[in-house]
Amino acid sequence: MSGIAQTINWSKTGIRPLLILCVLLLAIWPFTMTSAYQIRIFTIVGIYALLSLGYQFIFGHVGALALTQGTFFGVGAYVTGILSTRYGWGGEYTLMLSVLIPIALAAMIAAPVLRLDSHYFALATLGIGQVLLLIAVAWQEVTGGSNGLSGIPALKFLGMEASKGYGIMAVVWGFVVAGAFLSWRITRGLYGAALTISRENPIAALAIGIDTAALRYAMFLLSALFAGVAGALYAHTIKVVSVEALEFPIMVACLTITVVGGRTHIAGAILGAILIINLPEWFRAMEKYYLIAYGVALLVMIVVAPLGLIGLLEQLRVKLWPEQPKQLPAASAPVPAPHAEIMTGTHGTPLLEVKDIHKRFGGVRALNGVSFSIAQGEIFGLIGPNGSGKTTMLNIITGIYRAEAGSVFLLGDNISKKPSFQIARSGVARTFQNINLVDDMTVLDNVAVARYGFEDAGLVQAASAGWHDPAWQRARANAMFILQALGVDLVANQMAGGLPYGSKRKVEIARALALEPRLLLLDEPAAGLNEGEQHDLADRLRTFAKNGLSILVIEHNMPFLMPLAQRMACLDHGELIAEGTPLEIRNNPLVIAAYLGAPEESTV
Amino acid sequence: MLLQISLNALALGAAYGLLALGFVMILNATSAVNFAHGDMVMVGAYLAIALHGVFNIPGALLLPLVMALMALLGFVFSWFAYFPLKDRPPVSVFISTIAIGIVFQNSINAVQGAEPRKGPALLGEGQLALGSLTISEQSLSIIGVALLLIVAQYYLLNRTGIGRKLRATAQDRPMAEALGIRVNRMIALTFAIGSALAGAAGLMLSNTFFTSPTDGSNYILKAYIAVTIGGWGSLPGALCGALIIALFEVVYPSLPVLIPALKEIAPLLFTQTTSTIVLYIGLLCIMFFRPQGLFGEKVQKRV
Repeated sequence: MSGIAQTINWSKTGIRPLLILCVLLLAIWPFTMTSAYQIRIFTIVGIYALLSLGYQFIFGHVGALALTQGTFFGVGAYVTGILSTRYGWGGEYTLMLSVLIPIALAAMIAAPVLRLDSHYFALATLGIGQVLLLIAVAWQEVTGGSNGLSGIPALKFLGMEASKGYGIMAVVWGFVVAGAFLSWRITRGLYGAALTISRENPIAALAIGIDTAALRYAMFLLSALFAGVAGALYAHTIKVVSVEALEFPIMVACLTITVVGGRTHIAGAILGAILIINLPEWFRAMEKYYLIAYGVALLVMIVVAPLGLIGLLEQLRVKLWPEQPKQLPAASAPVPAPHAEIMTGTHGTPLLEVKDIHKRFGGVRALNGVSFSIAQGEIFGLIGPNGSGKTTMLNIITGIYRAEAGSVFLLGDNISKKPSFQIARSGVARTFQNINLVDDMTVLDNVAVARYGFEDAGLVQAASAGWHDPAWQRARANAMFILQALGVDLVANQMAGGLPYGSKRKVEIARALALEPRLLLLDEPAAGLNEGEQHDLADRLRTFAKNGLSILVIEHNMPFLMPLAQRMACLDHGELIAEGTPLEIRNNPLVIAAYLGAPEESTV
Repeated sequence: MLLQISLNALALGAAYGLLALGFVMILNATSAVNFAHGDMVMVGAYLAIALHGVFNIPGALLLPLVMALMALLGFVFSWFAYFPLKDRPPVSVFISTIAIGIVFQNSINAVQGAEPRKGPALLGEGQLALGSLTISEQSLSIIGVALLLIVAQYYLLNRTGIGRKLRATAQDRPMAEALGIRVNRMIALTFAIGSALAGAAGLMLSNTFFTSPTDGSNYILKAYIAVTIGGWGSLPGALCGALIIALFEVVYPSLPVLIPALKEIAPLLFTQTTSTIVLYIGLLCIMFFRPQGLFGEKVQKRV
């Protein structure tokens, strides 16, 4: 397909025809403006659109409720205000510092607060905002205290001055266009899919080798970058910086814009800004109490349309004019992983060695000195009654839990201190007992995102790739290949959430295989499969093992596991009570006692 | 001097304690943060001022009325901010409570203006002379009334049938539901109790510290810091945390008075503003080194 035909196709999908029309109208709108006041409002709309575009990175794409966006904005405004009025610096420097200082601030506070849970995080960021507000009020010599700074000059850049009115408006909207373009590049492809899974299912993201903390960090800095630019432009537009720039109403407006417009849609930030900033203009009778309307709008949107107005439009479009399913990529086999050759080169060392693992939860001993090892190409069954510690063991191997004592070795390499995502990248893939797929992503994308670690995907790569993200195209083609290998390629275009249980399990296995693992950990893979499907799965697993993959299977379904596993072990109350061939395990009296209860005379 | 300071700290801590208790109760019942809880304090204060204007009786007598009205408000609040979103991620509730907080703030601002207002004293504003000591009547009555409310709250939760149901709902909602407890009612009741306690705190604090429409974010941070110190979800921990904050807030600005040498070294370091800054930075340090709180136990998510 030629580039033009592709572009036309792209512009016809979803609600894009409508959006393109709106963008055209938006571009014409300024030319119809008659008063300086209208131009000023439109400029401020642009500033808030930029602020919200930035806020979408942290709040929308990684789903962290940061309440610092207004603070970064205020800092950006103050930096420009202070440097231009007190030192007479030009726009080349003030703009740069208005961006760099909020980013530096974000980098500094990210360390203590970014790893916190959502509620902690929100309140901690609010606390930081309050500290800076207090400083701005108290540090009068520099900030002008509660009076603020006035007489900020127009933005001058390399000898050119952005004039009042149309000049600054053009600059602001130029930044909006650039910001929207950057946002589109970052979020469209593999990197964007990694952001989605980090938000929707962080545990699954870690399990496929995505460093969710690094993504959150990058998004937090990016949001500060946008806020800094917006703050600087704000200072140049209204010519005054006061503590209002740091106060909560700015944050409230930004949050409202993002929720009302749509938290992950670029168009949402712009539509939201147009609505929310014009609201007090349209409802002049409300005077300064328009903030009440902000509150009500926020509440109504979060209850009625959590995806925002743009999300609502998209849902409407799907309902009224269902689209043709997207074309699937042609399948292509992944290029072998770098660790493939290492795997064949090591003989003698077991692939996985678990040594004397201890783990407690409060007073409960979940694991008590468990050791076992798995050879290359071996299928190893782990059984035990409910609550015996099987899943805990899996969580320790994959680094989600930390053992109090003991170590886990992968090819002689101690991985027990490594973060979860690195363990996944070194070749340990897993599935979950209670399926962890992203419901609102297609099956294909759910699997493709697991190629993240292989594609050297990152912020810079995403931003610099062309019209298509080549990494994402390769990832999807490879995912298609893996889906075919598991026989679930027919549902590739469906949303994962709508699949029957058995198919979801297979998709999870496909996602794990997309990591090209050395070791595959399966937590009750046969649950929910009928007998035919179980046979089919067992056959496929045997083939994988023959090609060198080691597989650990946790399972209660003995007719499935017994013929599949070469060796088995049984856990009971956190202790490994038996290990051996399936036949030995089946006849082991301790195992029988663990499952059926001990005979009476021995329960003293 | 020292006695006076500790009495003031105790009074402030008792009021913060009521605020933090309500916050934790709602947190436990819904596993969501009620961001508007700080605004509830502010609304309670304005309610007390309005009622005082009508009845002109001491704050202690207004208290039951304020608490009853705040309970009603909390009840209505839960129907707007919590129940429509109870099956969504906790962040949704956070945003909806921010939204209602904004409505509260700006409605009060519309009616009363932004000027700080002084609330009624509980009993009187005089100083009691005890030999050589002078003790603030307001501080003493705050301690008394707050203690009474804390004991009442403890009694309600631990010694009554409805308290058992409330605790069961907070600990394990599906289980409580399976046992036939009407969990939605219990949650609404929790919002009512929490708001009533916040309102009581508002009445008590507004006499000494005045009140203005934007006070909410300050109070929610106090509640949050108390809970962070005391351990997320722990009621006694929240009380301890509240006392520690109050002690810090009272002692820190008066350090130069207690230790005159400090006055010469850094007179500007010991203002109300710096005290708040130091408190918040201290909070960040706690979170960095002990995300589970000073006294809290480390919890792990189930996978």
